[in-house]
Amino acid sequence: MPDIEIRNLTKVYEESGNRIVAVDDVDLTIKDGEFVTLVGPSGCGKTTTLRCVAGLNKPTSGTITFGDRDVTQKPVQERNIALLFQDIALYPHMSVQENMAYGLKIAGFSREERMARVEEAAELLQITDQLQKMPADLSGGQQQRVALGRSLVRDPEIFLFDEPMSDLDAKLKAELRPVIEKVTDEIGCPTLYVTHDQEEAMTMSDRVAVINDGELAQVAPPKEVYDEPASQFVSQFIGQPSTQFFEGNVGAVNGTAELDVGGYEYNLARDGLEGWAGEDVRVGLRPQYIRVSDDPEAGIPATHLLDEPLGDATHSFFDTEFGEIVVVTDPDFDGDGKEYSLVFDDEYIQLFDDDSGVRIA
Amino acid sequence: MSQSESPGGIFGLSYDGETRVFEALKLVSTAIIVLVGAWPIYWITQLAFTEYETVEDDVVTVFPTPDIFTFGNFTVLTDPEMYTYMFNTVVVAIGTIVTVVLVSLIAGYGLARLDFPQKENFARILLIGYLFSPIVIGIPLYQIWQSIGLLGTRFGLIIALSAISMPFAVWLMWKYIMTIPAAHEEAAWVDGASRWRGFRDVVVPQCRPAIIAAALFAFALAWNDFTFAQILLPQTDTTTFAPGILRAMGQTQFLPDAYLMAISLAMTLPPLLFAYFMQSYLLKGFQVRAL
Repeated sequence: MPDIEIRNLTKVYEESGNRIVAVDDVDLTIKDGEFVTLVGPSGCGKTTTLRCVAGLNKPTSGTITFGDRDVTQKPVQERNIALLFQDIALYPHMSVQENMAYGLKIAGFSREERMARVEEAAELLQITDQLQKMPADLSGGQQQRVALGRSLVRDPEIFLFDEPMSDLDAKLKAELRPVIEKVTDEIGCPTLYVTHDQEEAMTMSDRVAVINDGELAQVAPPKEVYDEPASQFVSQFIGQPSTQFFEGNVGAVNGTAELDVGGYEYNLARDGLEGWAGEDVRVGLRPQYIRVSDDPEAGIPATHLLDEPLGDATHSFFDTEFGEIVVVTDPDFDGDGKEYSLVFDDEYIQLFDDDSGVRIA
Repeated sequence: MSQSESPGGIFGLSYDGETRVFEALKLVSTAIIVLVGAWPIYWITQLAFTEYETVEDDVVTVFPTPDIFTFGNFTVLTDPEMYTYMFNTVVVAIGTIVTVVLVSLIAGYGLARLDFPQKENFARILLIGYLFSPIVIGIPLYQIWQSIGLLGTRFGLIIALSAISMPFAVWLMWKYIMTIPAAHEEAAWVDGASRWRGFRDVVVPQCRPAIIAAALFAFALAWNDFTFAQILLPQTDTTTFAPGILRAMGQTQFLPDAYLMAISLAMTLPPLLFAYFMQSYLLKGFQVRAL
């Protein structure tokens, strides 16, 4: 099985005189057997990127190679890919079995061979008893299993997913995730999975590619994207509830760096802050590393707004001079609209360039 | 029954009064439809089964009672001339259906899935073509058909009838294919199907309601066509039913009214049955939003 190599991929749409750059100079390599998730907000160019890889859209410039095969100009039919669609796209007038066998039929396999492969795939996906049904009689989760089966039987070189679970409910998503991983492992080919759901990105991928405004913001393993975001955008986009941001000012840098946030000093044992002395920076911190103190003098003054108890933790909203701030608090926390203060766990503080949003330290 | 007598409905009527008026109006409109729509069919039917001597006798009968009942009138169907008319009508209707369905599927697909300049305007102009009545295009067509040798052929009539059915059929197919998600076809391409194969295997089967609606429309137009057949099939012995029967009525040769009723009934039944058995598809076909 080949690697997928995307080089300088750019896609520009011309719409009534307007030039819209959907994908801007994207470079991405997906190794054989690797599961890469392309994640970003809607309209960021992730689906366009995938459709270029699939051959459904023609890139404006750049190349796409599968192994040593340049497929940039090849139509979708000649790419030997599998693609799972957002709206599942089973053929509604064919039974489950016919749906799964359609690709094999076009490829000219004999009837026996087709049925044998469909049986095998159906067993792996636990849909053997659904084979004679019509797609409309199946639940959303079962339909997506059939769509997986349709791809599985063809033994594709590349596996592509275009937000396949965005129409399913949370419980079904959790149930299908292991199935998708099982199937992609079974085929063992490079996989590109597009989603706007960062939970899917975190749980399934070997590497996560965060894309924003048509440009790749960061490509790294899920844990690294979460712990060491390359930019303010990545930090904000990955993680739930998302990173909270404050305005800060770097003071004297002398081995450790002093950071002033709302009049409170933190000493950061970080490198790379030389030259930032006296500069304004953006301070990011994940809500679970912010502590709520009963003493209104202990940190940034905060007025409690409301609590969202989740059972294992509570998300508490506070009004501060930096706007509304979410903090993960104790499950029994009850703010009651009183005055508190927010104290930072300085080990986890992330600093970003105020203008570009690039990570500093 | 009513809890409040205060007027609340339209025309200041109480809700009960409004319901009564509504029911009454419903009855009246049903009566009108029955009178103008169903009465002629009843009249044709009862006369078709009444002995032709009785019908000729200026005696008004309302039901073929056993003493005047007969199947004899239908022997007119075996008359070679009538047989030719019916055969021509069937051939022209089938030919029109096939042409309209094939062309509208391909044209509708092109409009729905391909981008070409002035697409919207093309579709609008198409619909304007529908506004010309057959008599307006019939006379120029007569001259064109005459010069290219299509005059007096069933093929020529099929083309003319297809042309006037086409705007509606293409429009219907266009809008219907647009309701089929593009992802269905893309899935077929990913599976290795060519564009043509995807169209054949995935789009066409899903268009069945629209195909049936377009076919029914084309059938009704071709089957009931008088103007085009009258103009484009001028020879009496090769024409279709509608002009044929009119010419037969005008001939000096004796053709009793009861025979006319019998043959009319025979020619009315196919579209009636066709519409009846296809009505569920027909409704689905016409249910396209933004049609």
